[in-house]
Amino acid sequence: MNAPALAQGVRFRRSADGQGLLLIPEGVVNLNDSAAAIIELVDGQRITMEIAALLATRYSMDVAAIASDIEDLLQRLASKTWLVLPAAQTH
Amino acid sequence: MPYRPLSLLAELTYRCNLQCPYCYNPLDLAAYREELDADVWCRVIDEAAALGVVQLHLSGGEPTLRPDDCCAILRRARERNVYSNLITQGTFLSENLLDRMLAAGLDHVQISLQAAHAELADSIAGTQVHERKLEALKRALARNVAVTINCVLHSRNIDEIDDVISLAEELGVKRLELANTQFYGWGFRNRRALIPTRAQVERAGAIVRAARERLRGRMEITYVLADYYEEFPKPCMNGWGRQFLTIVPDGRVLPCPAAASITTLHFENVRDHPLSKIWNESEAFRAYRGIEWMPEPCRSCERREIDFGGCRCQAFLLTGDAGLTDPACSKSPKHHLVEQLTSEPEAALIPRRM
Repeated sequence: MNAPALAQGVRFRRSADGQGLLLIPEGVVNLNDSAAAIIELVDGQRITMEIAALLATRYSMDVAAIASDIEDLLQRLASKTWLVLPAAQTH
Repeated sequence: MPYRPLSLLAELTYRCNLQCPYCYNPLDLAAYREELDADVWCRVIDEAAALGVVQLHLSGGEPTLRPDDCCAILRRARERNVYSNLITQGTFLSENLLDRMLAAGLDHVQISLQAAHAELADSIAGTQVHERKLEALKRALARNVAVTINCVLHSRNIDEIDDVISLAEELGVKRLELANTQFYGWGFRNRRALIPTRAQVERAGAIVRAARERLRGRMEITYVLADYYEEFPKPCMNGWGRQFLTIVPDGRVLPCPAAASITTLHFENVRDHPLSKIWNESEAFRAYRGIEWMPEPCRSCERREIDFGGCRCQAFLLTGDAGLTDPACSKSPKHHLVEQLTSEPEAALIPRRM
């Protein structure tokens, strides 16, 4: 597996009013807009650079800066066991 | 901004074959025998999803004492894109029931252990179930479902917390919830037998911190604090009537699982009213919603929207007034009641029973 994926028992969805939510085993985490935009693209298929490229196009931003934000977020989620990173990306 | 619930705790039944003395269920268990049927529960899931609920916790009592109804409710939750969590003690979690619940859309299962070792665990549960629970855990872990082990901590088992962590590691679970007993229902009745010493709680906290560091990225450890030894109260339910609702077996709707203990409030029933009306308009949900109801020292406290005045049920149980600052708060004028709580002489355990 080369792409980040949400861990078993973790789901992303939006609330009726569009708020990005991470559903974890016994809780609901409110995501800010940028985290929601990233996690919405985590599907176990796309590698991090593909997610960065998609968001860089969508928001007309620098791809390297976005990639770094994505890495930070994914690491944080992985440290909580909510996300599985590809082996090459873990420290 | 209107308040929208995110999570629904559905207590299907208060029946249970275990007799754990720390249970937060009410003492008058037999008063809840008129249980909602599966059709009403499914209607309630529809209404809850329309109201904003995205997560369902099936609990009790022991919810799997109603296996067919569990499956019907799980199916409806999945149809409504609602995340589902089963909270069980696991003694009825057969391969067949797991098959059926996973097919119905179950996302996560929480299985309780009373301790790490059979002798102590069975003495707490009041019956020989520890080995069966381990078998259930292994069955669930072998399946395509997320699993959490939950262990409620108290004076009798808190010193073995490191063994519970080791057991969770051996079994390979990704989530472990270590929860100091919250004193409601049977737990409150048994508080003098169950309350740990400050030294016990501090030792456990240090062990949890070290284990979290060591297991980072491999196992998430959730630790529910013993609020009576903390400086500030717990932010109970993240605010009354703000994100959570509980429906008890007879259909009454509560802002928190222990709220039936507040005898000064009247709780409406889903048999009589739509859920949205109860959530938005009922007296019980409005009573302590927001910050307008707050007395001093909460009203002017900078933490008023961090801990929301603490727990209404604990305020009621200890002071007789659910509208006071939670005495667990060090700023509460009634904080001495919590200090008394932790210095009462020990008493014998009374097993939970109908």
